Amino acid sequence: MPPDTLSATFAALADPTRRAILARLTSGEASVTELAEPFEMSLPAVSKHLKVLERAGLIARGREAQWRPCRLKADPLKDADEWLERYRRFWEESFDRLDEYLGEIQKREKKQGHNRFQTKEDGNGRDN
Amino acid sequence: MAETTNAPTSSTRRELVIERIFDAPRELVWKAWTEPERTMRWWGPKGFTCPHCEIDLRVGGKFLNCMRGPAGTDFDRDFWSTGVYREIVPLERIVCTDSFADEHGNVVPAKHYGMGADVPLEMLVTVTFEDLGGKTRMTLWHEGLPAGEMSEGAQQGWSESFDKLAESLATA
Repeated sequence: MPPDTLSATFAALADPTRRAILARLTSGEASVTELAEPFEMSLPAVSKHLKVLERAGLIARGREAQWRPCRLKADPLKDADEWLERYRRFWEESFDRLDEYLGEIQKREKKQGHNRFQTKEDGNGRDN
Repeated sequence: MAETTNAPTSSTRRELVIERIFDAPRELVWKAWTEPERTMRWWGPKGFTCPHCEIDLRVGGKFLNCMRGPAGTDFDRDFWSTGVYREIVPLERIVCTDSFADEHGNVVPAKHYGMGADVPLEMLVTVTFEDLGGKTRMTLWHEGLPAGEMSEGAQQGWSESFDKLAESLATA
């Protein structure tokens, strides 16, 4: 996979024409001519968009010289999830520790408060 | 799709949202986030330690944290991170950037730590704290800012289509 694919993915998705092309491809593979139909755009212009999508790893193109059908590739979008999932784990586990810490510190403060109370009000230090 | 059910508006894969309710008063949770000696007690996943934490809590100020992985594991090293505070509302809200760093606080790409080159150089973290009468609801948003930042309009524009696309891909 080329470096910085994720940035390329998001950059590719930032364009409405390219999103429309991807949306079209969710219902199956299509040729450049078919993809160009809904847009008032020349074939070279559409080809340019396809190149951006291909570079971003969002689509793959067939080998047939004449037809070269385009189809959707889901992998880059899964990667988008992957690094966020790593962060999710980082935060969730950190917050588990934060939860423990908050519990501990409150227990300690309560205990200290209780001891002070005992010393002041109950010289014998008896537990009630 | 990631579990971003708590997200108020969008559900793109570019952000994650985590909500926790802590059985502690809001002031204590706030201190745990903003006082280095307290942050060091919890920063990092299970088994990690935090040997260094600097917090310059003002807009434009920076933080610099070190997280140390457990000895004898793949993570047996120091991971530094830094960021700039963009917004601070005492007891209520912190907004800051977040990046990997070296020990001097210089931003480095994630691959410096052997992570994928696809991790954005800069991320945005927003944490809010809500007083629930002795308990605290904390919500964290974590978003990636891709290189060559997109305009606000572009982001809004594609999020809807992207959602639909993601839905169809989930079944692919």
